[in-house]
Amino acid sequence: MRERRTAGGLSQAELAQQLEVSRQTINSIETGRYTPSLPLAIAIARFFGSTVEEIFDADHA
Amino acid sequence: MQTMRKPARVYWVTPAVSAAIGFVYLIGFTIGGHPLDGLAGLGVMLLFGAGLAIAGRRSETVRGLLDRRDERITGIDLRATAFTAVVLIVAILAGFVVSVARGQSDKPYALLGAIGGLAYVGAVIWFRVRT
Repeated sequence: MRERRTAGGLSQAELAQQLEVSRQTINSIETGRYTPSLPLAIAIARFFGSTVEEIFDADHA
Repeated sequence: MQTMRKPARVYWVTPAVSAAIGFVYLIGFTIGGHPLDGLAGLGVMLLFGAGLAIAGRRSETVRGLLDRRDERITGIDLRATAFTAVVLIVAILAGFVVSVARGQSDKPYALLGAIGGLAYVGAVIWFRVRT
């Protein structure tokens, strides 16, 4: 997710604002300390125009 | 868990409840003949509520606890509440044992334990039916 965010030139705060979560939550997801709920995972995937499977690696969740 | 936008008024629920508790303190102390203590209690709760509202402007975590928009912070709140409940259960059990070991009444520990137990069973049934 970090790669897609940085590729889009977005800061964690900007992505957090778009997804209506905190910057801390974005950071926790990117560092693997927090696994998002299914609705948030879908929202993230839709934001990047991708699928949940492409954004998140279930084997390393 | 939800990540949808919630009305901004949710942010003010906890400060408002703090203020309401303060007024309940005031009424209780006034009925008991100690209105000044009631005013002190009200002041403490108003300050607490105002402090939360102000802190929410600066802290992402406090803001998340107040507006309930962030699922991760809401989850943290849930786990912290469960941990607090465990601490209270241990304190009630310890108080109960110490009290009866001293030959004193089991009150209020037995009553608090019963309320906690019934609340837990009721909550399990409620969430079992609803989810």
